[in-house]
Amino acid sequence: MNENLQYRIRARLLKVLHFVTLFIAMAIICVPGLWVVLNSFRPTVEIMAKPPVWVPGDLNLDNYRAMFGAVGEGGVPVLQYFTNSLIISVTSTLIAILVGMAGGYAFARFRFKGKASIFIGLMLTRAVPGVSLSLPLFIVMAKTGLIDTHMGLILVYVALNVPFTIWLIDGFFRQVPVELAEAAEIDGCTRWQAFWKVEFPVARAGVASAGIFAFLTSWNEYALASQLTRSTFSKTMPVGLRDFTSEFTINWGGMCALAVLMIIPALILTFLVQKHLIAGLTFGGVKG
Amino acid sequence: MSRFRPPPWFVLLLPAIIILSAVVLIPLLLSLYSSFTPYRLTRPETLYKWIGTYNYEKAIESAHFWAAFGRTILLLTIALNLEMLMGLGLALLVNKVTYGQRTLRTVMMFPMMFSPILVGFQFKFIFNDNVGLVNNALQSLGLSNVAIPWLVDGQLAFFSILVAEMWSSTSVFAILILAGLFAVPRDPIEAAKVDGCTPWQSFRHITLPYIMPFIYIALAIRSLDVARAYDIVQIMTNGGPARRTELLWTLIGRTGYVDAKMGYANAMGYISIFLAIFFTIYFFRKLNAARSELGMAG
Amino acid sequence: MGNQRLKSLLCATALVAVAGNAAAGEFDGVTLQAKLIGGQQYEALYARIGEWEEKTGAKVDVISKKNHFELDKEFKSDLAAGTLGWCVGSNHSSFASQYPSLYTDLTPFLTADFIAEYVPSNIAASKIGDALVMLPRAQFDVSALYYLKSVYEDDDNKAAYKAKTGRDLAPPDTWDEYKEQAIFFTDAPNFYGTQYAGKDEAIVGRFYELVIAEGGQLFNDDWSPAFNSDAGKRALKWFVDLYEAGAVPPGTTSYLWDDLGQGFASGTIALNLDWPGWAGFFNGEDSSKAAGNVGVKVQPAGTAGVRTGWSGHHGFSVTESCDNKEAAASLVAWLTNEDSQKLESSAGPLPTRTAVWGHVVSSAEGDAYRTEVLKAFQAAASHAFPAPQTPYWIEATNLIYPELQAAILGDKSIDDALSDASEAVDEMMQENGVY
Repeated sequence: MNENLQYRIRARLLKVLHFVTLFIAMAIICVPGLWVVLNSFRPTVEIMAKPPVWVPGDLNLDNYRAMFGAVGEGGVPVLQYFTNSLIISVTSTLIAILVGMAGGYAFARFRFKGKASIFIGLMLTRAVPGVSLSLPLFIVMAKTGLIDTHMGLILVYVALNVPFTIWLIDGFFRQVPVELAEAAEIDGCTRWQAFWKVEFPVARAGVASAGIFAFLTSWNEYALASQLTRSTFSKTMPVGLRDFTSEFTINWGGMCALAVLMIIPALILTFLVQKHLIAGLTFGGVKG
Repeated sequence: MSRFRPPPWFVLLLPAIIILSAVVLIPLLLSLYSSFTPYRLTRPETLYKWIGTYNYEKAIESAHFWAAFGRTILLLTIALNLEMLMGLGLALLVNKVTYGQRTLRTVMMFPMMFSPILVGFQFKFIFNDNVGLVNNALQSLGLSNVAIPWLVDGQLAFFSILVAEMWSSTSVFAILILAGLFAVPRDPIEAAKVDGCTPWQSFRHITLPYIMPFIYIALAIRSLDVARAYDIVQIMTNGGPARRTELLWTLIGRTGYVDAKMGYANAMGYISIFLAIFFTIYFFRKLNAARSELGMAG
Repeated sequence: MGNQRLKSLLCATALVAVAGNAAAGEFDGVTLQAKLIGGQQYEALYARIGEWEEKTGAKVDVISKKNHFELDKEFKSDLAAGTLGWCVGSNHSSFASQYPSLYTDLTPFLTADFIAEYVPSNIAASKIGDALVMLPRAQFDVSALYYLKSVYEDDDNKAAYKAKTGRDLAPPDTWDEYKEQAIFFTDAPNFYGTQYAGKDEAIVGRFYELVIAEGGQLFNDDWSPAFNSDAGKRALKWFVDLYEAGAVPPGTTSYLWDDLGQGFASGTIALNLDWPGWAGFFNGEDSSKAAGNVGVKVQPAGTAGVRTGWSGHHGFSVTESCDNKEAAASLVAWLTNEDSQKLESSAGPLPTRTAVWGHVVSSAEGDAYRTEVLKAFQAAASHAFPAPQTPYWIEATNLIYPELQAAILGDKSIDDALSDASEAVDEMMQENGVY
């Protein structure tokens, strides 16, 4: 009886501790981000105030209004940047996932000579410092007319994301027992059908997370985009952030407003994909 | 008799190989060549002058280069390990939650929505010594009455960069490890409970081996991708002051584009590629070892 | 001979365009590709491009619009890739000498009278050798002294300062006095006497102008480093002393212009050497805590009696590879002509044409702050000098600034820092075959 009570108290304590730790961890994650969101609604004078203003006294949409306003009055071609970012990120993610699924499947299911070296070779393409890459890429793109086009950036981002997607998806395919697919094949499915009906649903969680990663990488990439884009025709939002800096000044409030517009779609997408992630994982209960 | 039929694995890999050769390999060969020339961006004719290994010798003799090299390794090691531990902790915390986990997972991934360049600006303002959030908070709470020069003091600047980098990347570990946690079968844990194992024991002997491959995937991915931190560091300190936070990427970027000495920059880039190769192969071997423990080796 | 005739023909057409009464359809069917600097401050002017297109029948295709530093990177990449099919580019006097082969000499396309309408010192800073590689727009930058008036009107301050130094408290006229007052005003961490740009080209520029004010030089005539001198040491000591005395925010070595601007606007900095672009920001109720409290004065002088005056300006250039240079030159002239400069300077930036200076000053009448600003900057401009015009200026700054920082932070002595920097610059110049 007494032991039981002790046990219950301990469980209760652990629960409280868990809750408190979780809360602190989430706070650390959120505060720097929410600070950006908050700043997008505040005038610069209040953000930079000294002594600091802790309770926002003046929240307004001025930064947003200015951003959508005319050029020269604080306007930035946000919608154009947004469209560019969306087209480039979505397309490159889809392609990267297809290419990555093919590659991941090859590594997870086939045995062949030099497999390890080919795998490492593919991964190492990601290890190349952007600086060594950006100038030759610029030259190649400039010569082939791909500079400042959606196509150019899409290609680059696919290449950037393929090693990741292969790796991730490979890992998830490995978790799917070979027997499952074999059983399906015995039941009269072709290998292709077996893949889509059996292995793909189980590995869907992996595809979903690879997709999130690929999308976020493309959505947020700056260094190469700043080199390979030039005008509103292909500039993405991270490059657009730089529109708020000039030689001597920086408009932090305005930058935060654009940042919020960058964060929201990414957040929504992540939230939506979570559903598939969960679905894939629930189905994955089979493997236990 | 019949046409040559490439093996299926090759067909499956072909798209990846083609695109990576086009976007990475060919440009890389170009920059490898240029590292043997005194190539200056502003004087294109310098690309055709062969100077052998001069740039490499210069880099190897340069104290600044090796200081940056060492600092980069230090940052990588500390950041990756801390991120891994905190990501693991975070994933375990979130995994325990039964209600509202989906929202919590999205919140957990919040920092991943922030472009590294934005993170740079953000933490530059957060750590600003005069009007920054951290100093303001410390002063308002009465914990400090001096303006702490977060981005200037040698150790503090390194620490600030580390914090920014960790803030932006711990989520990557957390989400991958969380995915791994979901893949852990329930039965052995239940069985262990029945057998009277402590939670620690069942974590150590059942859960951990299962999530190890995910941890190594995350480590390897991050060690490849950690150059993303370039945007952060470049905005926050750009290697300064007095080279106190100079990393390979800031050094190479400045040499290549600002000084326009692309040949020399590429030589340094090539030396630093070995660093990435080392980290990647190391984690890859670990990954394979962890997998074969689970009987999943390919 | 034919070439000569062609040239005079070009001059004639350019003359017409420049006079602002271009024959309608003069450049019919011509399309010019342009790479222009982007950002709030710079883009209002581009509305004038449409007018020029209408007048001449040409089309302007802005293929790149980027921030200053990104544009610099793109120009360098273009040179490397040989993708130079475009015609008009934004340029900056401190960066121009880095791309000596990129831009063409504009002199053949313009009349001497037209060129004479610009402020002569701005034209001088727009040349590489004898080639006029850019026409300056109304974006001229030189730094003057901004200060908080309240600090000088405070009776306690006045009395204490008098007691301490025996002199009346007034905004400083020499850099020594500036240093003394900055230390005097400091009440860390809530209030600092001053601040300075602490990294990149910015701190080297400040160091450069102080070296000049101390009677020294950054480079000898053959471009070998000359700053490891007594004047150089005095200049660096100014930075070091302020830092050691805690009269600058401790983060100052990580500051660039935006941090400095925000710092002064937060009302916690007494003295601030800064650019004209901030004048409106500092006095704006929405942007600055110092609004209504800002004084502006010509920048102080060094011990050599010379005032600082590192300056630069934005402008437009025409590429050497452009197939329609006269049309391009006409556009560049149009964007920097009197009307364009009036438009641009009405938002605050300083003009580079003599007549527009007069216009700006007279239109500020009745606005006491604006008049004070313009008077101060007009005086500041008269002491202005450009950044050293060598293609290796930016590269040199990257070698010098870490050493300056090392001295400021106490990692090295002033003597060591300067001799190390000097040695590095010397080596770089030799490696580049300068001497």
